[in-house]
Amino acid sequence: MNLLWVMPAKGVDVPHGHDIRVSGARLALGDDPPVDVLGGVDLRAPVGEVTAIVGPSGCGKSTLLDAIAGLIPLDAGTADAGHDVALMPQRDALLPWLCLEENVALGARLSGMPARDARDAATRALQRLGLAGFARHYPHALSGGMRQRGALARTLLSGRSTWLLDEPFGALDALTRSEMHAVLRQLHAQEGPTILLVTHDIAEAVALAARVLVAGPRPMRIVHQVPVDPDDAAGTGRAVLDALRAAGAVA
Amino acid sequence: MTTAEARTREAPATAQPARRTGMRAGRVAVALVLPLLAIVAWQVAVWVASPREWILPSPAAVAQAGWDARDRLWFHAQWTVLIAVIGLALAVAIGAGLAYLIARSRVAWLALYPWVIVSQVIPLVALAPLLVLWFPPFVAIVLLAVLMSIFPVVVAGVDGLRGTDPDLVRAARGLGASEGWTWAHVRVPAALPRLFTGIRMAAVFVVSGAVVGELVASDRGLGALTRLSAGQFETAVTFAGVALLALIGLALFGAVALAERMALPWTRRATRRSS
Repeated sequence: MNLLWVMPAKGVDVPHGHDIRVSGARLALGDDPPVDVLGGVDLRAPVGEVTAIVGPSGCGKSTLLDAIAGLIPLDAGTADAGHDVALMPQRDALLPWLCLEENVALGARLSGMPARDARDAATRALQRLGLAGFARHYPHALSGGMRQRGALARTLLSGRSTWLLDEPFGALDALTRSEMHAVLRQLHAQEGPTILLVTHDIAEAVALAARVLVAGPRPMRIVHQVPVDPDDAAGTGRAVLDALRAAGAVA
Repeated sequence: MTTAEARTREAPATAQPARRTGMRAGRVAVALVLPLLAIVAWQVAVWVASPREWILPSPAAVAQAGWDARDRLWFHAQWTVLIAVIGLALAVAIGAGLAYLIARSRVAWLALYPWVIVSQVIPLVALAPLLVLWFPPFVAIVLLAVLMSIFPVVVAGVDGLRGTDPDLVRAARGLGASEGWTWAHVRVPAALPRLFTGIRMAAVFVVSGAVVGELVASDRGLGALTRLSAGQFETAVTFAGVALLALIGLALFGAVALAERMALPWTRRATRRSS
């Protein structure tokens, strides 16, 4: 996809919010017996930046995002990202009974935009992301990369200033994932949302984020923070891997 | 455009409709093999054993009797179809409403769902005389048709509503959707394919319900006709009535399947693609 012609969407104004702050977040899930998922998470994701959380599978990263989005209450501690939060799950989660354009328009509809305006905004967003020719297609007729771009467009149209991305590209092949990284970078450069990206892919975290937070095994805590050096991605990656090893998250 | 995107493009449309029609005709032919074999075996058995016609008429005799009694059959069939359609409509409306209530409310789940299941343990045929005692015949018969067909609608509806893909709900809630919006715009549409499965089953059961009611409480309808004709040793007419009942059940099933195809085009395409 040629990203040079990706222009800001008319009528879509992504406001700039504030830092994401999580302090002493604790949460146990289940009853028989309860499982400690969050074991006192502290983190700060600065406004307008991309911050990545890297950790082993099942350590509680998705639960943390749900708590930040306000979908589940914490047992203790606080998670504050303001009210302008959009959560994008790992799978694209496009509604299969709506065409791509209707799916993308949902983001705007849920932010209170009238139906006709939302439709127009969706059309423009699809053009921005190179999906104009697929507006009337159902999700099952699209490739994984196209569906994920549609999900990103839906998040963009939500007008939220904070995006919580839960392993958004984990199910894509390497080539499509690399393409999606470029799309996300471009969207971030143009719209400037605060992004908290959860991933288990160190390379992805280093490629997209300004800082990488390293999560230990469950119950989750942030055990280390690694600023990304754009000129030494390999060195940053090694530092993240070392932190994961030190936390016992990888062998 | 990526390779993946290119793959999503439709294949050239030329020759597709003809090929599709041919495949459909082939499927129909395969489906007809078994009943045709059964009819042939029946005809041969009658030729060989020569039973009295009031005990077992041949398929040819049934066809002849059906043609001769076509006015009677048509008169009674209209009544049965009316009962079945009203019964199915009520079963869908009440069943879907109950399913929503049970899936949405914990109290309704605890208070209603066990009784919906228990209601199926009671042999509804045994209830028929009581219903006739309590209600006018038409109401009693419709009630039986509803009771016989509502169960699959409720169960399929509850399963559909409670089995919504959690990622769809999470994505909607993560974009700020309220609980009510999520039910209306995510859970209910997501449940429709399963609900239609229940309605298809109900379309078959509702005919049985109507017939049971007609057998017990009516002198109209194909149920009543089969009772009366069997009593008068018009066994061929009884067979013709039964065959017509089967056709009505099939037609209702087909009508629901057609409605499903029209209402849920995305499931049809998804199925075709994944097959």
